[in-house]
Amino acid sequence: MKKNKIEDKKSENVLTLSNVSYRYYDAEPDEYVLKDISLTFDEGKTYAIRGRSGSGKTTLLSLISGLETTYEGDIIYRGTNLRKIDLDEYRSRDIGIVFQSYNLLPHLTAVENIILSMDISKINVEDKRKKALDLMESVGLKREQGDRRVLKLSGGEQQRVAIARSLSYNPNMIIADEPTGNLDKETEDEILQILTRLAHDENKCVIIVTHSKNVAEIVDVCYELKKNDK
Amino acid sequence: MTILKNAWLSITRNKGRNVQIGIIIMVIAIGTSVALAIRNSAKSLIDSYEDQYEIEATIGVNRDTMKENMKDMAPPSTDSSSGSTSTERSEKMDDMRSAFSEASNLTVDEINSYGDSDYVKSYYYSLSVGLDSSSLTKASSSSSSTTNAGGNNNSKGMTGGPGTETSTTDFTLVGYSSISAMSDFVSGNYTITDGSVSDDLTSNTCVINEELATLNNLSVGDTITLYDSDSTTNTITLTITGIFSENDSSESSSSGMSMFTSSANTIITNTNVITTLTNKDSSLKVTTTPTFILTSKDDIDAFTSEVESKGLSSYLTVSTNLDQIESSTETISNVSGFALTFLIVILIIGGIVLFVINMINIRERKYEIGVLRTIGMKKSTLTLQFICELSIVSIVALIVGAIIGASVSIPVSNALLANEISSQSNKTSEVASNFGMDKQNGNFDHVNGVANTQAFDSINAVVDIKVLAELLLIGLLLTIISSIAALVSIQRFSPLTILKERS
Repeated sequence: MKKNKIEDKKSENVLTLSNVSYRYYDAEPDEYVLKDISLTFDEGKTYAIRGRSGSGKTTLLSLISGLETTYEGDIIYRGTNLRKIDLDEYRSRDIGIVFQSYNLLPHLTAVENIILSMDISKINVEDKRKKALDLMESVGLKREQGDRRVLKLSGGEQQRVAIARSLSYNPNMIIADEPTGNLDKETEDEILQILTRLAHDENKCVIIVTHSKNVAEIVDVCYELKKNDK
Repeated sequence: MTILKNAWLSITRNKGRNVQIGIIIMVIAIGTSVALAIRNSAKSLIDSYEDQYEIEATIGVNRDTMKENMKDMAPPSTDSSSGSTSTERSEKMDDMRSAFSEASNLTVDEINSYGDSDYVKSYYYSLSVGLDSSSLTKASSSSSSTTNAGGNNNSKGMTGGPGTETSTTDFTLVGYSSISAMSDFVSGNYTITDGSVSDDLTSNTCVINEELATLNNLSVGDTITLYDSDSTTNTITLTITGIFSENDSSESSSSGMSMFTSSANTIITNTNVITTLTNKDSSLKVTTTPTFILTSKDDIDAFTSEVESKGLSSYLTVSTNLDQIESSTETISNVSGFALTFLIVILIIGGIVLFVINMINIRERKYEIGVLRTIGMKKSTLTLQFICELSIVSIVALIVGAIIGASVSIPVSNALLANEISSQSNKTSEVASNFGMDKQNGNFDHVNGVANTQAFDSINAVVDIKVLAELLLIGLLLTIISSIAALVSIQRFSPLTILKERS
């Protein structure tokens, strides 16, 4: 089925979850990981989704990012149901995803990882390399680190590259799954500062899935997920 | 452009993996290019040989039909009442004799009818008739001439019918319909030693064997008179325009202990002379030997069917020189066959190995697939990129393989051919030793399918444009087949699952 392009109309909420439920395909009929979740996300704010292990935080992030599609209820992005959207296009243009384990391509350099993302999104940029280096600088990396293979960078540096990559096509939302889970306290603070700046200064909607109390304290809105015990 | 750029980056950054795939494709390419070069060169050599030695069809006795009829005429066994009586057998024998005699005397009209075919490039024929002469002495220790003897050494004609009338005459007058029909001169079996063969194929001229000329003190310009032994008034006078000799090798092989060559009593003229004689005496027994040059060896069956539909007697059949030609190209055909088997084996094994290695590689690249899908690369784009990568590696490997294949194809093919020739030679030697002879002393050409003489002793198996085009096609096919692994995996892998596994 041909999916619709995302309508470019301004909505009150950038993302709305309405009675979203999810269970694994091989689970019992009433064994839901998420049950009737209704949340809203606005631009210019940071959100934290907290919860114990198994509460469905990462599953919720998968649903929001369009990586998981077998759910009940509706997820509305800028007024359009995700079910009617080309999800590849949605992930390559409208949302930036940052993972705990960075998910960079190890055979490419930092700049190449960022440019690859721009290529996939088909964003019209005159000098992609320059933009990639500018983005690296904006997340606290040095330009000379751009031509290093990502495996030669530290964990914190790789996470900054991942953030720069997610910003390369100027998405409306940044979805981060435990972005500071593998980092030390100092680096965690720096990464959180960057994410907060993106929301407050660049009007992005930043959603962070986290265990960390530290993260929960600095975000604008914190949603707590409770484990569904039937 | 993005796909190409990403594919190139992936290739250059994962050299080990791509070199591994490249080596396999290169080995396949070397084997394939050598095999294709051998196949194509062998085919072109065989085609060229077959073009050079045209497919000649003649009409001869159908021995199978004769054998069947002979069975019907077998005497009854003592304990059976179902056999034919002697009267019935005699009647059948007479019928068959009559049918054969009638069938073997093909008329010129029939030959023209058979020759008027899309499968026939050209045709000619010879007519031979047994005659006597009061003024000539025959070379008496040579083979006797008979009205059904065919007259010359080109014994593809209709000879030896069952109980055919064999009234012995002194000389055989053979008339040819064209210069090209004189196959013994064309092959070099006969050579003019004095004068020439008249190019006027309507004149009363002839050429005679030098032995007959010497025996009768004849020379170019003299005349000879021959007559029909059944009708002495039916005579013909011919002017000798040339004297020929028969070459020694055929003499020794076909005349045995005779002091004269087999063609000593053969007088060569044109069909017009013989037609003149038969017009005067319609009962004169004439043996007709037609030769049809076919357009292609593929037309043999069609031509046979056509002449049968035009009324060829069941006692006669079409035979060709195809076996002789194919026997001369047997070794090269064997090498070509070996090359084909080798090609099939290498493609099957190579294809499977390539497929498996690609499967393993795709599994190793699951993480990359997961990341690319997560950041929004479409399945189709990803698949194209993987195919593109494999295609680039394949093209480079095919080029290197073709270059190496080109440099080894000639020595490899010649080594194979030399081996095959040696094997054939050993086979011939074994046959010769069964006769207690050396191979060189006996004539073992085509003895029971053993080819002694081979048309080729080398093969120029070059990797040319045709081979390259075929190689490219095969490479493309292998790339597509081995890409199926990537196609299936990319469709099947869930990016979420991959990244979860990774975490």
